[in-house]
Amino acid sequence: MNLAVTIILGVGLVFFLGGAVGILRFPDFYSRLHPAGKMDTLGSFLMLGALALYHLHPFTLDNVLVAIKIALIVVFYFLASPTATHAIVDAGIRAGQAAWQKPKQGAGS
Amino acid sequence: MKALALAIVALVGGLLISATVDFPDWGDPASPAALHVSPRYIEKTMEDTSVPNIVTSVLADYRGFDTMFETTVVFTAGVACFLLLRRREPRPGPSRVYRHRASGVIVEMSQAPDTEPAPEVFKRIDDDWTPHDLIVMNVCRLLIPFIQLFGLYVIAHGHHSPGGGFQGGVILGASVILLALSWDLRTASLRMREVATGLMSAIGVFIYAGVGALALAMGGNFLDYAALAPILMVDPVAARSLGIFFVEVGVGLAVMATMVLIYKNLASEGRLDQGL
Repeated sequence: MNLAVTIILGVGLVFFLGGAVGILRFPDFYSRLHPAGKMDTLGSFLMLGALALYHLHPFTLDNVLVAIKIALIVVFYFLASPTATHAIVDAGIRAGQAAWQKPKQGAGS
Repeated sequence: MKALALAIVALVGGLLISATVDFPDWGDPASPAALHVSPRYIEKTMEDTSVPNIVTSVLADYRGFDTMFETTVVFTAGVACFLLLRRREPRPGPSRVYRHRASGVIVEMSQAPDTEPAPEVFKRIDDDWTPHDLIVMNVCRLLIPFIQLFGLYVIAHGHHSPGGGFQGGVILGASVILLALSWDLRTASLRMREVATGLMSAIGVFIYAGVGALALAMGGNFLDYAALAPILMVDPVAARSLGIFFVEVGVGLAVMATMVLIYKNLASEGRLDQGL
């Protein structure tokens, strides 16, 4: 059980790491929001899921309640985080922020 | 002049830093703060108030007088915002913009009409209106009831877990502000009118002070909830726990209404007709 929890936590950490690297490395506003919205959502889903699983260990009513609360956090995070990212992208488009295009060969940066 | 200022800053800063040497060590059990009242609160809270969360019992019971005036500060901030920002005269320039619901045609009127057009046919929109995003609107509509439920839980569960009136009130106020952000200010104003915000923030403070005064009238000290035991028909210890709950409700009401009041006045330049 603890092994499974550790593995899931580790996988979630990999996604968070990917998200952080993506935010730093991607070229513009929209593509940076892409890892921020997706990786964080999946990473927190995995990590919170692992914590809920860990809490189920002595299978009592109290622990199940804690696990259900963590599961509810996951549900609301799943709804709210992509929506927030979408709202930011939407605001960027309305404000006239142009999307990044691959620079042509020899045209400089 | 700059050199003088720098010298003063360096002198005062040096004094303050040298004074930190006299501080007790971090977490020192023999420090004055840990010696006198803290052990009493830690040991007697369960006995006195039957509230497991010591922070709540200190905040709302042992130091209830302090918290009452914190609530009053929140109320005063709301009143100050209202008095400074609220404007009665209408917005200058093109005054009314409507959208025909069936066709989506936008109608702009150069002056305010004598009678408002039927709201089922024409929906009033902001001057700088852009089409709202369907995803954001509907997800917020889905989430707001749960946010409000969580706010109530935080207020009611302050006895057992981190939380209480201030935190729960902020969550409730934020849910109304989220409605104003994702839909528009008029929709939020229909749910919570200006009169309601003003009244609720005053009623919140009144509940707090009223519980205290009721304890006074029942023969106890001001805010001594144990004196309320005969009214609540419980023993004095449970009465203190219930009294904490009552004042938390008052704090929650005041904080929620004041947040909404301040937001509306800031977002609409004090006119409360349109805004973010």
